[in-house]
Amino acid sequence: MPELLFPHHKLSVEATLGPLHLRARFELRAPWTVIFGPSGSGKSSLLQAACGLIPEAKVDFYRRTSPAPSIKPEDLKPGALIGNFIVWNPLGSQPTYRRALAYAPQHAALFPHLSTGDNVRFPSQVSSQSTQNPTLVDEAIELFQLHNLIHRKPAQLSGGERRRVALARAFAVPNCRLMLLDEPFTGLDRKLRGELLPKMQAWLSARNIPVLSVTHDVDEALMLNAQVIHLEDGCVTAQGPPREILAQERDRLLETLR
Amino acid sequence: MDLAALGLTLRLATLTTLCLLALATPLAAFIARKDRISTRLLQAAIALPLVLPPTVLGFYLLVAMGPATPLGRALMHVLGHPLAFTFAGLVVGSVIFSLPFAVLPLVLGFQSVDPALTGTASVLGASPLTVFRRITLPLARNSFLAAAVLTFAHTVGEFGVVLMIGGDIPGVTRTLSISIFDQVQELNYTAANRTSLVLIAGSFLALLLLYARRSSRRNTDA
Repeated sequence: MPELLFPHHKLSVEATLGPLHLRARFELRAPWTVIFGPSGSGKSSLLQAACGLIPEAKVDFYRRTSPAPSIKPEDLKPGALIGNFIVWNPLGSQPTYRRALAYAPQHAALFPHLSTGDNVRFPSQVSSQSTQNPTLVDEAIELFQLHNLIHRKPAQLSGGERRRVALARAFAVPNCRLMLLDEPFTGLDRKLRGELLPKMQAWLSARNIPVLSVTHDVDEALMLNAQVIHLEDGCVTAQGPPREILAQERDRLLETLR
Repeated sequence: MDLAALGLTLRLATLTTLCLLALATPLAAFIARKDRISTRLLQAAIALPLVLPPTVLGFYLLVAMGPATPLGRALMHVLGHPLAFTFAGLVVGSVIFSLPFAVLPLVLGFQSVDPALTGTASVLGASPLTVFRRITLPLARNSFLAAAVLTFAHTVGEFGVVLMIGGDIPGVTRTLSISIFDQVQELNYTAANRTSLVLIAGSFLALLLLYARRSSRRNTDA
């Protein structure tokens, strides 16, 4: 399993947010990592802290600067120098807008004064990156089938349409290093989700963008074939393949169906 | 109707409004962004003209602009004449006097922008200045209209400060509200009535503009 040897990202978050004590530390070992947990376990807060949106959170966030398949895993220590590049690049101390993250928040947070098209174009318009793919925005609009909605304002969209626009806007971030998706399929019906998922995964793996998403849906975690992180009361209680981590949850679901 | 006073008043109110919007925008953005002791102090200082008698403010401005203070002496040195009893001095006084009327609506407007929107914009790569320009400003645009209308109307209506630092020089510092005062002192009630009616109609139209825009926006944007 090469992903295990070469984790893309390492994240540790510490914060006290009201009654919740967030103490989570984990590595992203697969292209898609799902944070699974009951509501109130701190899933969304974790993503927000990773984005730098929670000022009181202490966040250590490392990412590998460039892939180096020839090095041994024991060399992958924080700050280690291999050749002339640094293995881990701390992100926690960088201002939010320089972290090269893509983010689709839980409640879509579309910019109400901008049309669908302008919302999706926003990341590439504000980006400081000089090298940009000019077709990125069109591809994102194509992927999430937004052609018919392009001139509409968020107030004229349904919940599911807003969700798709928020996803397209995240996918249209130029040169993004990590995709953070908070309940990405809320409001989308299962058929649409089934259509979108393989296309999204193909897009992301073609661009080598790892994903950290949040869900409370067992079904979704199984479908994604993702690495699952089980979060409870702000702490990571288990990490592994979905069939292992979610076995209990699956049995509980099956029990209710009987 | 004192047409010279009317022209002067409109000129003063327009200039004051423009200066204040430029000055109040960064101040309001600073106050709306952080909740610290320093912003509380600043907010209290800015709101002071709301509760202070205009004569108190006018008195200190008059003293500050005069030869008694280093600031006044420096101004006299640069301008060649005192700032008091000039149109420019009137603009400075009006800007300070109407400051809360520009800053407070803008603070409310900026604070009403959902932090989830500004936060998401910054994660998507927008620098703080870009977030302000592309998200906060357009979403708070109604509060700019409120700030402009209130500042303009308030400047047209000010009396105490204008009288203290402007005196009552026809064509230079005599505004409409002072012209009414003069007309009443001359027992010319007909003229005072005419001028007053103009001011009432103007103020009412300004407020109508504000509320009409608000409700039409609420209907289209909701």
